[in-house]
Amino acid sequence: MIISNISKTYSVEGQKIDVLKDFSLTIPSGTITALVGPSGCGKTTLLNIVGNIVEADSGSVVKSESEEGPVSYLFQEPRLLPWFSVLTNVELVLRPFYESHKQRLDVAMKFIKMVGLGEYAKLKPEQLSGGMRQRVAIARSFAYPGHLMLLDEPFQSLDYSLRWQLVHSFLNLWYNDKRTTLYVTHDIQEALLMADQVVKLSKRPMKIVATHQIESHKRTRKPSDEKLIALQAAFYN
Amino acid sequence: MNRSTWTTKLVTALSLTLLLALWQIGSSALDAQIILPSVGQTFNSLVKLLRFKPFSLNIFATVVRALQSFLIIFVVGLLLGILAGYSRNFSAFLRPFLLICKATPVMAIILLAFIWFTSNTVPLFSAFLMGFPIMFVQMQQGVYQISKELSEMASIYSISKKDRLFYLIIPSLFPSLITGAKASLSMVWKVVIAAEVLTVPKYGVGSRMQLAQVSLETSEVLAWTIVAIILTALGDLVFTLFLSLFKRVAK
Repeated sequence: MIISNISKTYSVEGQKIDVLKDFSLTIPSGTITALVGPSGCGKTTLLNIVGNIVEADSGSVVKSESEEGPVSYLFQEPRLLPWFSVLTNVELVLRPFYESHKQRLDVAMKFIKMVGLGEYAKLKPEQLSGGMRQRVAIARSFAYPGHLMLLDEPFQSLDYSLRWQLVHSFLNLWYNDKRTTLYVTHDIQEALLMADQVVKLSKRPMKIVATHQIESHKRTRKPSDEKLIALQAAFYN
Repeated sequence: MNRSTWTTKLVTALSLTLLLALWQIGSSALDAQIILPSVGQTFNSLVKLLRFKPFSLNIFATVVRALQSFLIIFVVGLLLGILAGYSRNFSAFLRPFLLICKATPVMAIILLAFIWFTSNTVPLFSAFLMGFPIMFVQMQQGVYQISKELSEMASIYSISKKDRLFYLIIPSLFPSLITGAKASLSMVWKVVIAAEVLTVPKYGVGSRMQLAQVSLETSEVLAWTIVAIILTALGDLVFTLFLSLFKRVAK
C-alpha cells in the first residue's frame, strides 16, 4: 500500500488545524506496520483515511489488489453490542458474506475458540472481563473477511500481563491469515514486539521521524531481547 | 424474600398507616363530614360505589379512554420522536407545537377542546396533547443517545440497515421507550379523569366525581379519587408485568 502526499485539515472553532501535511508512507503487503507517535499527532486520522472512514483533503492511498475491499478495525474499546451474546456479536458481521446461518455460527465459533473463549460464547459482554471483551473484538476482526487490518491502540487500556496475552492472541490469528496491518500505538515496546516495520512519528502535523525494519520472527521476540532494547532506546532518543 | 425487602415493605405500610391516621385526626378535629369525611365514611362510600350498578361501566369507560389515548400517544410519539431524532429540520418544524403543548395549562386545553369536540372525544384529545410531548421527547433523546462508537463499528463492519435497526437502534431506544411510555401513561390517567370532570360524559370516573361534588358528597368524591389512584397503580403494575414478560420472551 502506498500512501502519497496525504493532507487533512480540521476546523475547530473557526481555527484550521493541519493534522496531516503531505504525508507519505509505503506499507508492504502482508506485514504489520506500527505507527508510534504522541497523542493527537494524527495517527488515528491516517488510519481512518486508509480505512475510507474519513476522506483526505488531498493525496492518495493506492492499495494492492489483495488490500482492496472491506476493512477490519480493532478500536481502542471493544465496541460490542451489549444486548447480545459473544456469538451473535461475531456472527452479525458475517451476514453479508455467508447466507447460511449455520455456516456463520460455525465460522464465528471457530474464531471465538481461537481466542480461547469457546465456553463463553453464549455470555453477554457485560458478563466478561475487559480483556475477554477485547479478545471477542479480536475474534470479530479476524472473522470478518477484511482485506486490511486497522488497529487503533486496542490494548492501551489493559494492564501489562493482559496486554501480552492479547498481543499473542492477535499474532496467533494473524499468522493464520497474514493481512496487511496498520497498527497505531504509543507503546514503543508493544510496537517492537508485534510489527515488521515501526514508524516513529512527530507531533502535528505528523511527519515520519524514523523507520525501523525488524527482521526477527515475531513469535520469538521477547521484551528482554537486546536488539529490541537497543531499538527502544534509539526511539526514545 | 430477603430482610431488606421486608424492611422496605414495613416502612411503606407504616407510611400508609401514618397517612390514614393523619386523615382521621384531621377529620375528627374539623368535625365536618362535608369538608373532610372520616376514613370509615369514605370506605363506606367506596363499598356503596362498588355495589352501585354502573360502577363497572364508569371504570370501563375511563379505562378505554385512557388506553385509547395511550396507544395513540405511544405510536405517534414513537414515530415522530424517532424522525425528529434523525432530522433536525423535522425537529425544528415540530418545536412550536411542542412548546405550545408544554406551556398550555391542562384546564385551558380541556376547556377549548370542549368547545370543539363532544364530551367523549375531549378526554382523548386532551390526553394526547399532554402525553404526546413526553413520549416524543424521550424518543428524540433516545435517538441522540445511540452510541456513535457502535454506529461507527456497524458501518465499518458493513452491518445491513435492517440488522442495525434490530441489533443496535431498537435495543438502544428501548430504555427511552419504557421511560416515555410509563411517564405518558401516568399523565394520561390524570388528564382523562380531569377532562371527564369538566365535560361530564355519560360514564366515567371523572363524571362521577363531578356529580358527587355537585351534590356535596365529599366522601364519594374521595372514594372515586381512591378508585382513580388504584386505576393508575394497576396501570403501572400491568405495564411492569407486561415489560417483564416481554424481557423474558426476548431472552
